Amino acid sequence: MEKIYRIIANTNLDFKDKRHLLCLEAENSLPYVEISQQAQTYLKEGTICDLFEGNAPYRPRYILPDFLLFMKQGSEYLNISPPKNLFEAINALLIIYRFVPSITSYPVYLGQIEELLEPFLSTVSPKEAENLLRFFLINIDRTLPDAFVHMNIGPADTKVSRLILSLEKELKHSIPNLSLKYSPETPDDLALQAIDTALVTGKPYFVNHQELVNDLGKDYAIASCYNTLLIGGGSHTLVRLNLKKVAEKSNDYSDFINHKLPEATSLLVEIINARAKFIVEKAKFFETSFLAKEGLINLSKFTSMAGFFGLYEAVKQLTDLNMGKDGEAEKYALDITSHARDLMDSYTGLYCEGYCNKIGFHAQSGIDTDIGVTAGVRIKYGEEPLLYEQVNLEGKLHPYFNAGISDIYTFDPTAKENPAGLLKIIKTAMKKGIRIFALTTTDSEFVRVTGYLVKKTDIEKYHRGELLREDTVKLGADSIRNNETLKRRVFGKS
Amino acid sequence: MQGCNLSCIYCHNPETQKECCLCGICLETCPAKALLITDNKIIYLKDLCQFCDKCLQVCPYFSSPKYFRITAWELSNYILKYNEFLNGITFSGGECTLQTPFIIEVSKQVKNNSPLTIFLDTNGYVHQSGWELICNHVDGLMVDLKAFNSKTHHYITGVDNSLILENIKYASRQGLLYEVRTVILKGINDSQEEINNISNFIKELNNYTLFKLIPFRPYGVKHPLKDTVYPDKNHFEKLFQMAKTVLGEGVKKPLDISL
Repeated sequence: MEKIYRIIANTNLDFKDKRHLLCLEAENSLPYVEISQQAQTYLKEGTICDLFEGNAPYRPRYILPDFLLFMKQGSEYLNISPPKNLFEAINALLIIYRFVPSITSYPVYLGQIEELLEPFLSTVSPKEAENLLRFFLINIDRTLPDAFVHMNIGPADTKVSRLILSLEKELKHSIPNLSLKYSPETPDDLALQAIDTALVTGKPYFVNHQELVNDLGKDYAIASCYNTLLIGGGSHTLVRLNLKKVAEKSNDYSDFINHKLPEATSLLVEIINARAKFIVEKAKFFETSFLAKEGLINLSKFTSMAGFFGLYEAVKQLTDLNMGKDGEAEKYALDITSHARDLMDSYTGLYCEGYCNKIGFHAQSGIDTDIGVTAGVRIKYGEEPLLYEQVNLEGKLHPYFNAGISDIYTFDPTAKENPAGLLKIIKTAMKKGIRIFALTTTDSEFVRVTGYLVKKTDIEKYHRGELLREDTVKLGADSIRNNETLKRRVFGKS
Repeated sequence: MQGCNLSCIYCHNPETQKECCLCGICLETCPAKALLITDNKIIYLKDLCQFCDKCLQVCPYFSSPKYFRITAWELSNYILKYNEFLNGITFSGGECTLQTPFIIEVSKQVKNNSPLTIFLDTNGYVHQSGWELICNHVDGLMVDLKAFNSKTHHYITGVDNSLILENIKYASRQGLLYEVRTVILKGINDSQEEINNISNFIKELNNYTLFKLIPFRPYGVKHPLKDTVYPDKNHFEKLFQMAKTVLGEGVKKPLDISL
């Protein structure tokens, strides 16, 4: 009760923050979903971390509704008819977004936006279309103040995606997060416009469309923070394994590979499956959600996600080699990653039909409280080699991860003089296997923290103690300090 | 590349003009003890360097302890390692054409093994036969034209500009003249007439060459010019717009002009 009072009386939180935390407290007054003693120990010591999802999950962590179907059939629950023009289409989307649950309570996926809006573009004049899309983006930024809210565009060239890119450059919002599915069919001038926008706003991400289609089929999307999931599906939960801590438990490399990693992954699977089972069987989410009833989501397209992080420190701990510096480290990094993937694939993921009953394999890009452990399978910040070597190594690791992986590449501001050079780098990175390429410049108004964007001016406001609309500013400010985000190597600096 | 055949008053990289004469003055000023002389060679220990650039500032001979020798083979292999990430490479200086045989050798090796293009950033002060040789081995040239008025050019660089103008015309005819660059110096070459002349000169050459106007900045400059006020933003913008009326979209300026 004391804790609840502290939330209510906390002057650093506004109403919506308090409501969110109070919900979590209510959930956590129940015992944790049923797991073994050993799994509990791993959770307690932080070897496995459930990202504070709560003891008794009652909705999937990430939900990616089939918005295209929604546009076709409308919604009985929302009392919305299929839209007939751009006004109605945007209104319908802005309404349904408020009804898509997630771990943050904000929708983590806004749709493949040009697919949803391009058909209605001819119903208004070009000037009206631009004004409506501006109004759409401003509404999203103000009413869904969470930088994990994520919109997708590409790979095809459409008027809507061009408009979104130019409006994002103009508006300079941290929300929504934006991904461009990039493939060889994406015309260079669209890619260059995306780079031009990214040099100002840090978005969109460039997503390796071909690689992901090969893995997941064409109906995939990017949600929240680099998660690649199926449209009409999502992920029940994301629980992550700290490879650094597993390495610290191991006597040597062979003990790690043959005993400690298998043991840790078995516990990881146990926790993930227990959580998914609770959502489906106890909370009965899919029996109560209108999204499921109206066919906008389908349990058969869901999975759960297992996140891995701290590979850099694990390799260092076990072999005394540095990824990115010592050539031999690559062999161990790949060996650990492929072992982890094989181990995960040897288990059945409960309610993971969307991923052929396997748990999605994800490189978890860190949270605000991580200290001394590197995100996902990245190279430690500040220790990156030259871009060429970094992309070569990471390009070999990325293909293992079917449920999301990325890196952020920071360039000197002079890169703005040469967008064609950046496009060449992105194309080559894709060819080398990089799945999600985020780019930023040191002079950007934004910082890309783990996977979401935060404005530098908002971080200053947070440090001054101001209450802010976006819940992600606090996470970002703490991450930047703890994960040493600003120590990253800058490319193109002489 | 180290070494230059001009000594412009505004030179932004004066440390690239001459070769090191082993005087040792920089050794005494290096706070990191990253410099030493052995076997009649100056050694620069990059791992110790704090990048304060004091060694460059104190060198009275317009040189640097930081340049090093590399063979054409080593350089082309280094470039080819990054081949997939690049569209091309640019040789710069100093004045890179002073080492034309080296450039040709690297160019051959790079072109035989990659689709990379080779560009030069040059002052164009090269004898005609040498210039023609260079033009046979590169894909594009960025040439400085420090002034159009012959006297002004002499004042800035110490030499007449007729050879440079001829070379620019030749490169233009070969389809290689990617860009002409002029650094704008207050009270020296910043008259409307001067910029107008250069713009019209470029316009008459062809329809593809870019004209880049660069405002003078004091960084790195050793000449007393470093203490002058650099051209004010409004005047620079006026010159830029004037060039635009002649050349349209073919005029460029640095993206970030912090005057």
